[in-house]
Amino acid sequence: MVSSNTTAGYAAGRDASVPRYSTGIAKVVNSALYRHTLGAAVESRIGRIILLAGVPLIWLIMLHVGPIYQMLKISLMSHYPVQPGVESHFTFDNYAIFFSESLYFTPLIKSFIFATAATAITLVVVYPVAYYVAKVVKPEGRSKALLLLLVPFWAGELIRTFSVIMLLANRGAVNVLLREIGLIDRPIPMLYTSFSLGFGLVYLICLYMLLPLYSAIEKIPSQYLDAAADLGAGPFTRFRRIILPLSKDGIVSGCSLVFLTCIGVFATPMLLGGPNTVLFPETISGFFHGASDKWPVGAAFALIMLVTALITAGIFMRLVGGKKRSAF
Amino acid sequence: MRNMFSDAPRTTLTAFYWAFLLYLLLPLTLMMAMSFKDANFVAFPIGDWTLDWYAKVMQDKQFLEACLYSVMIAAASTLAATTLGTWIAMLIVAEGIKGQVIIFALACLPAVVPGMISAISMRIFISTIDMPTGTAAIILGHTVHAVPFVVVMALTRLRSMPGNLVDAARDLGADSVVAFFRVTLPYLGPALVGGMIFCVLLSIDDFVRTFFLGGYRPTLPMLIFAKVQGGMSPEINAMATLVLVVTAAVGLYAEYLTRRARTR
Repeated sequence: MVSSNTTAGYAAGRDASVPRYSTGIAKVVNSALYRHTLGAAVESRIGRIILLAGVPLIWLIMLHVGPIYQMLKISLMSHYPVQPGVESHFTFDNYAIFFSESLYFTPLIKSFIFATAATAITLVVVYPVAYYVAKVVKPEGRSKALLLLLVPFWAGELIRTFSVIMLLANRGAVNVLLREIGLIDRPIPMLYTSFSLGFGLVYLICLYMLLPLYSAIEKIPSQYLDAAADLGAGPFTRFRRIILPLSKDGIVSGCSLVFLTCIGVFATPMLLGGPNTVLFPETISGFFHGASDKWPVGAAFALIMLVTALITAGIFMRLVGGKKRSAF
Repeated sequence: MRNMFSDAPRTTLTAFYWAFLLYLLLPLTLMMAMSFKDANFVAFPIGDWTLDWYAKVMQDKQFLEACLYSVMIAAASTLAATTLGTWIAMLIVAEGIKGQVIIFALACLPAVVPGMISAISMRIFISTIDMPTGTAAIILGHTVHAVPFVVVMALTRLRSMPGNLVDAARDLGADSVVAFFRVTLPYLGPALVGGMIFCVLLSIDDFVRTFFLGGYRPTLPMLIFAKVQGGMSPEINAMATLVLVVTAAVGLYAEYLTRRARTR
């Protein structure tokens, strides 16, 4: 509350209904244009609600829900883009195609295997790192220790993928080094295999795991660990009974984030994978290039992938987290 | 209190951390080192150092144009995403609005949908509204991608804002619009700048959306993709190193800003 003295001072010598501003904003607020448009709108409750909610709601419905809705709609059409003379009708055939051919079925399975494996490996590898930064490093050094880990994150997807190629190619660093030492005569083919793809995926996404785990572990009060140690719990018991259960939220959101990112990665599998590692995104993309009449099938496949991925992530959240949580 | 942890796990964890850091940095360091090498392939030791590849990249018109195009798209989509994201966050924290949970879930939807599917659905969407592929479509796609991150960052900052600041402004006669621009927006400032830089990096890095929504004019990731598909070359090393150095500097600055915003 402003004291009556000040209010009186402010009100003196001017129209009480028009606030006085110290800067150029007064020109805007007191201009006829403002007072008849925005100024008038915020006078009423309805006007304020429209001003506050109008644009956000239109955006959310049009562009956050719209694309998914259109994809659903087209996946149920027999033809799209509609050509003159061809009637499009309602059909489930596009979904049936998926189950009819192993050519389509296998890439999805492979995508899931790669995403699950990459998530599991990332969790196991990154957890000790997150724990180290959150609990072992002294508080002053934490942001530095974290920042060092974030540097590769700024390199971007393609640059990191390329650096993995430099490492694993037949004339890449690992093979050159092994040959210099004399361990091998002929380069080991590592690129364009499941190994290079797995390596690349883990390299690409491990930082998405780090931040959720770090913030969950950091929140665990150190006194809990001290108390447990006082009561005779060894390092392993402390980890299993205190740290692991209390960092569950971080594990759940980190794993969901990594899994969902991994499943939607497009460029990395194309560059690091070979003919044996065609993943589902590549399969889907095939329907959108060339003969454009396959769009409905592509849309149906994309939806199959979206639904299975979200269900998998949802089941995981239920199983581990116990309660429903958003990815953030 | 800290010596409660016996030394063996501590040493192991420390070693593990440095090993992990080495794993993260080794491929990139290698890439950067090779960009100074005068031969056309990877070999050790590097031997003769050269800046020829950089000279070549700096004269590469295609590369410079792609950089410019990427920056333009990033600027436009960041501006749009920041405005929309802040607006949505304001709606979520507003009093007397129902269904905030649903609005928040909708706002986060694009962050949960895998990149590939988001790109495909956007491609279908722009075709249903008869929008051609190209610059506008890419900007739209990148904006949708970035909005959830702005919303989350703005929300975190808004929730830590003392409610009486806006009340005070209102008591002094400011209407909602003025109170937003004079009080809330300056308070959000540092968090928003951090969020904007994050959006820029997100947009410059994006490949899959650009791949499906773009025309023939390549953005930076598309150019790098095309070159990488053509095989290894020191020119890519130099190009990637340049991009990496610039984006890392920008990212570091953003990190510094958000950190300052959090401590202030």
